[in-house]
Amino acid sequence: MTAEPLPVSTPTSKRTEALEARPVNLDGFVEEWPEVGMVAMDSPYDPTPSVRVADGVIVEMDGKPRAEFDFLDQFIADHAIDVDTTEQAMTLEPVEVARMLVDPAVSRSEVVEVAGGLTPAALLEVVKTMNVVEMMQALQKMRARRTPANQAHSTSARDNPVQVAAEAAEASLRGFRELETTLGVVRYAPLVAIALQVGSLAGTPGVLTQCALEEATELELGMRGITAYAETISVYGTEPVFCDGDDTPWSKAFLASAYASRGIKMRFTSGTGSEVQMGNAEGKSMLYLEIRCILVAKGAGVQGLQNGSISCIGVPGAVPAGIRAVLAENLIASTADLECASGNDQSFSHSDMRRTARLLPQLLPGTDFVCSGYSAVPNYDNMFAGSNVDSTDYDDWNTIQRDLQVDGALRHVPEPELLAARSRAAKALQAVFAQLGLPTITDKEVEAVTYAHGSQDLPMRDVLEDLKAAQSVMDRGITGLDVIKALEASGYNDMARTLLAVLRHRVSGDLLHTSAILTPELETLSAVNDANDYAGPGTGYRPAGERWEEMKRLRHVVSASNPETEVG
Amino acid sequence: MAVTLPEQVELDPDRDYPLAAHRPELLRTPTGKPIDDLTMQAVLSGEVAPDDLRISPDTLRLQAQIAERVGRTQLARNFRRAAELTALPDELVLSIYNSLRPNASTKQQLTDIADRLENEFSATLCAQLVREAADVYQRRDILADPA
Repeated sequence: MTAEPLPVSTPTSKRTEALEARPVNLDGFVEEWPEVGMVAMDSPYDPTPSVRVADGVIVEMDGKPRAEFDFLDQFIADHAIDVDTTEQAMTLEPVEVARMLVDPAVSRSEVVEVAGGLTPAALLEVVKTMNVVEMMQALQKMRARRTPANQAHSTSARDNPVQVAAEAAEASLRGFRELETTLGVVRYAPLVAIALQVGSLAGTPGVLTQCALEEATELELGMRGITAYAETISVYGTEPVFCDGDDTPWSKAFLASAYASRGIKMRFTSGTGSEVQMGNAEGKSMLYLEIRCILVAKGAGVQGLQNGSISCIGVPGAVPAGIRAVLAENLIASTADLECASGNDQSFSHSDMRRTARLLPQLLPGTDFVCSGYSAVPNYDNMFAGSNVDSTDYDDWNTIQRDLQVDGALRHVPEPELLAARSRAAKALQAVFAQLGLPTITDKEVEAVTYAHGSQDLPMRDVLEDLKAAQSVMDRGITGLDVIKALEASGYNDMARTLLAVLRHRVSGDLLHTSAILTPELETLSAVNDANDYAGPGTGYRPAGERWEEMKRLRHVVSASNPETEVG
Repeated sequence: MAVTLPEQVELDPDRDYPLAAHRPELLRTPTGKPIDDLTMQAVLSGEVAPDDLRISPDTLRLQAQIAERVGRTQLARNFRRAAELTALPDELVLSIYNSLRPNASTKQQLTDIADRLENEFSATLCAQLVREAADVYQRRDILADPA
């Protein structure tokens, strides 16, 4: 048998070669495939909106009679939708509701009231009439808290607690109001959660911390006062996937009450693409399923939701209009009057242009937390599989804020302040570990972490000793109070006082309200006392005064009085 | 001095929230200490136990009132369920949560939990949630097989 000659390859132009070399072509793109749910927000299999109420109960929703409701339908019909207003609200054309969302003359509370009567399919029809600019205009009005904020991830590829502490300190100085960590080796959790808490106290006070773990463990760390809030309480848009996640809307609603019963702030997590990724989207669009998640969160009475695809961003990112759908889910969560921690976390693109474009729809209008995980560490250390923005993007972020006069809740911090906070965080953790009889943190580690960029710059720790100690933290019943005492005994009195103030907020319950954060003065700021009052040009939150002066500072800004020098 | 029950206090969100700043006199720990007694000195002398850094059912009901007044019905209902759960030990809370997972309990087991919540802890709202779950789980076939 003779071999066929190889086909002569078609010559490629230099232009094509240049384009092929662009990072965006490393990203994955697929055609829509509605039958398996690979469609962002416009599937022929999405239901048609409808509602029917009899004797104060929703007996038909989105074309389905009550007897055929799956558990999400029933939970949404019985707990999320306002049965008194739904029939009236459902008479509005989708485009009328969309215009209310966009029109600054219609107040946020009017929209919230109308939207409270809409079914999942109706909410989907509303956002389908909107382009991204209209959605952004709507989001700046519908965000629950007036002042935007931001959240960071502080993790370590080696689960190194010293690194997590130093990065927490830096992140708090840079402006983040929430910090989240998670683990490579789950058993490390107690040590790393303590490190995150202690480190955050060495920067700007009032940062709330969390450790993402399996639901029951996360709750336990929260109950002990080692973490301040929780977020990894996942909900899903189809019954089989919800069950695969080993939960139901009722178990999650119970969990929401469990957190509140201990005074601990909590939000749910969901996002477009999770059902496709877990193989059971029932042929519905990603956004339709996400709207069901949003309404489950609303019905459970949890104050907020982390959404915006989150760890499934590659899925909507691969289909047409996927990033528009991600913005739509943030908008609907806000319109459901929930706190929205709006994604921009997991990495999704190799292209710097594309990851910036993905970020702007949340950054420009502002959300309760623009990123629900800006990586405060280099992405190789990010244990949430990398973030859309990481610690090498700080200067770009600050510059975009300054260019557009848009508040992304971060600031440039001069090097000496950062080094001082990093060093103090590491030293405080060294002292706390010593006080609590946990493995030694050496001066060499403190020195290294002060100047480090990532875990590769740090000495190795004795992992086995650390893991034994982590277990002992659980066995000995160490709590936040022990951390306070250890800080105080080591002379870190201000940090001890801050932690006590954070934990004392559990007694007041003020942080349980929608979109609550603590200010650096340790006062609660939430959608109750800082309600978004946007009503068109000249109203709402605008960076001004001291904050705007702060935003003007960058690493390199030429002095106006002496062009030979730099300010900032 | 006459004691005012939290349920009798009329709160105005604009005036009274955050309660820690504006109405600290209403806030007590589950052990009955005023919130202002949670000082560093009290922590160091061992007068503050982990149980003091918890929220009381009365406070949750005050916060429910705030939530209702700003139109957040579901959030308020969650706070009222939470108020009931303050009486339960951590382990019991976790075990009920696990029982509510899909295919984890029989209908009888869920009904027993609901009865216990109601009879032992006066947790009627939580009991109602668990009973509702038992019915839905039966209809959707996600109860455990009675073995």
